[in-house]
Amino acid sequence: MGIEDVRPTDIATDISAPFPDQRTREEGFLHLQPGRVTELVGVPGTGLTRLGLKLLAEPSRVGTVVALDTRGWISPEAAWETGVLAERLVIVRCDDLILWPKVTAALLEGVRAVYAEVPARVKEHDLRRLSALARARKVAVAMRSMGNGLPTGIAHLRLRALGVTWEGADRGHGKLKKRRLMLEASGKGAAGIVRRFEVEDEGTDVVRVVSDVVVDQARRAVR
Amino acid sequence: MWFPMWSLTRPDALSDESVLVVDDRVSGATEDVLMAGVTLGMPRRDAEALAPFATVLIRDQSDEARRFEPVVEMVEDLVPRVEVVSPGLLFVPVAGALNFYGGEVPLAEKMAEGICRLLGEQSGGEALVGIADGPFAARWAAATATPGEPHVVEDTIGFLSRLDLLALREAMGGEEMIDTFRWLGISTLGDLARLPRETLASRFGNHGVLAHRLATGEDRLVDPRDIRPELGVQMTFEEPLESLDAVAFAGRSLAERLLKGLRAAGVAPHTVTVSVEAAYGPVRERIWRSADPFTEKALIERVWWQLRAWVEGEGVPGGIVGLGIAPADLSGEGRQLGLLNDESSNIETDRALARAQALLGPERVIQGRAQGGRMPGERVVWSRWGEPETEIERDSDAPWPGATPSPSPALVPPRFTPLDVEWDGGMPTRVRLGSRWEPVLTWSGPWRLSGRWWVGERDADRYQLVTSVGAFLCVVAEDRAYLAGVYD
Repeated sequence: MGIEDVRPTDIATDISAPFPDQRTREEGFLHLQPGRVTELVGVPGTGLTRLGLKLLAEPSRVGTVVALDTRGWISPEAAWETGVLAERLVIVRCDDLILWPKVTAALLEGVRAVYAEVPARVKEHDLRRLSALARARKVAVAMRSMGNGLPTGIAHLRLRALGVTWEGADRGHGKLKKRRLMLEASGKGAAGIVRRFEVEDEGTDVVRVVSDVVVDQARRAVR
Repeated sequence: MWFPMWSLTRPDALSDESVLVVDDRVSGATEDVLMAGVTLGMPRRDAEALAPFATVLIRDQSDEARRFEPVVEMVEDLVPRVEVVSPGLLFVPVAGALNFYGGEVPLAEKMAEGICRLLGEQSGGEALVGIADGPFAARWAAATATPGEPHVVEDTIGFLSRLDLLALREAMGGEEMIDTFRWLGISTLGDLARLPRETLASRFGNHGVLAHRLATGEDRLVDPRDIRPELGVQMTFEEPLESLDAVAFAGRSLAERLLKGLRAAGVAPHTVTVSVEAAYGPVRERIWRSADPFTEKALIERVWWQLRAWVEGEGVPGGIVGLGIAPADLSGEGRQLGLLNDESSNIETDRALARAQALLGPERVIQGRAQGGRMPGERVVWSRWGEPETEIERDSDAPWPGATPSPSPALVPPRFTPLDVEWDGGMPTRVRLGSRWEPVLTWSGPWRLSGRWWVGERDADRYQLVTSVGAFLCVVAEDRAYLAGVYD
């Protein structure tokens, strides 16, 4: 890449992000990388929508970010709580299976980062083309499949929700306060090793990695 | 030359009716509606509240541009190279024509005669004419003129110095900067012009310099560099384009090509010349001008208005065989890149979102802003992307006792959705998710939600239900449970 190809916003992204060696490997999993697709896998209710929106917080500091909503249910309030700048977040609602790839491609042409819900039955070749486009345009992408996950080779990093526990509510007393989400990272972005870790979310813009890494050698290169 | 009520020239605005023409804001109103307190630029809702008796018509700028074209042609017969800003507002460079016609007043009289011949007593056809040095001063000279009597400004700087700072708002925005000026005790453009330009540059940057230039009557910010001829774009058609759809498509792609080329050169145009070549007729040209450098959306809109006006006005006999757009008055705004933001990225973003809007419709590309409320669904006010923001109804900073506490559910259905919950002695035990029942592990609530009885709302109870697969916000009203949010 020549110096003339570097946009100020690319530099700004690097400035605003913590230096890689200041992050633990697991904290690194919770940041999107330009040109890479991060897949979020898990049943509704585990907290992956909030995590996907949280991933947009850092790119929103330097440009417009988009949440592509297939159900029409995504609430920007949760995104603002996770640190996404309100004036930089655009929500695009698309439940049409035919239009979805076209709309996603149009967005990848111009925005910094996208959190996209992927409808079930989107064609594999469309997803591969979108992944290539994200790579070419250096757009950070988080995808959450509404079906059975993305085909192999599309996501650079795969984060699977294994379970969620809540603290704060107790048989009528209190209120929901803190969520602990057990995640499993795999794929190239995890160096081909399956790693499990736990993150804690108290409804603010900070999501902490709280547990030690579990390296499951037996499940190396799962996908 | 300004026709403040040009919106009223539409055929469905009957002269004996009270009429209000609006998009998000008022763009035209009949005399009796203005008497009720409505002003141009007022938000639509306020205007409708002040004049409930008025017939409300939705503004169609494309149609206004079509009706405005004969006026532009008439003026162009008198003085060439007029610049259209929007339907109803055009700038006429009169410096050369003054000697020919013998001064400002005879020229203005000629124009008034032409307008009278063209529009007669038609509602909305009253023109205000202002003559001054530069478009900014001329615009305000017209705003302070009376119909039939041109306002000729002899001393432009003196005239500008008496204007309120609000005059800057239309030309350059900068609401916050205007507020800061007022806070500093600066209330007129004269006060602003007396400040050293370097001081404004160091405190407010480019915006401050632009404000100072306007205040001192130097509003023509033409880039001194030559415009390379290859920056203009042309298209030729073997088969003449006759249908509006085909013309619109060609205009759109040409406008996109123009801005793409200009972006690569790091500039953006303040003025463009749209030209068409008819199959059986002369080449026609029209200049469009904008206070801000044209964005893709704004340029496509202007090109479409102009082409529609020519095609529907039978100005291109035999169809269009050539189409061109040439830029002028280039701004360096596309060239000056900020550290954390750059204009080319913004233009790319605008283009991407405009495409998404074109594919899905404007109501599906949206932005939210926070407002007050007790339920998650009430706390967001939505606006279409690229359009003026919807007004906030409830103050988000006000105390909202009984509001659902944070963290907020990440998924909020647009309407409450029925949810099957099993109860045992007032305590939730199971909830049905799809085809299976999940035991409720723990819960909080009930929290009372007092309904607005004056609009027929009943009281309800809220619960946060936690299952092994996640947590849900549930509302129970009249013995029925509804899903109000998913803590996904």
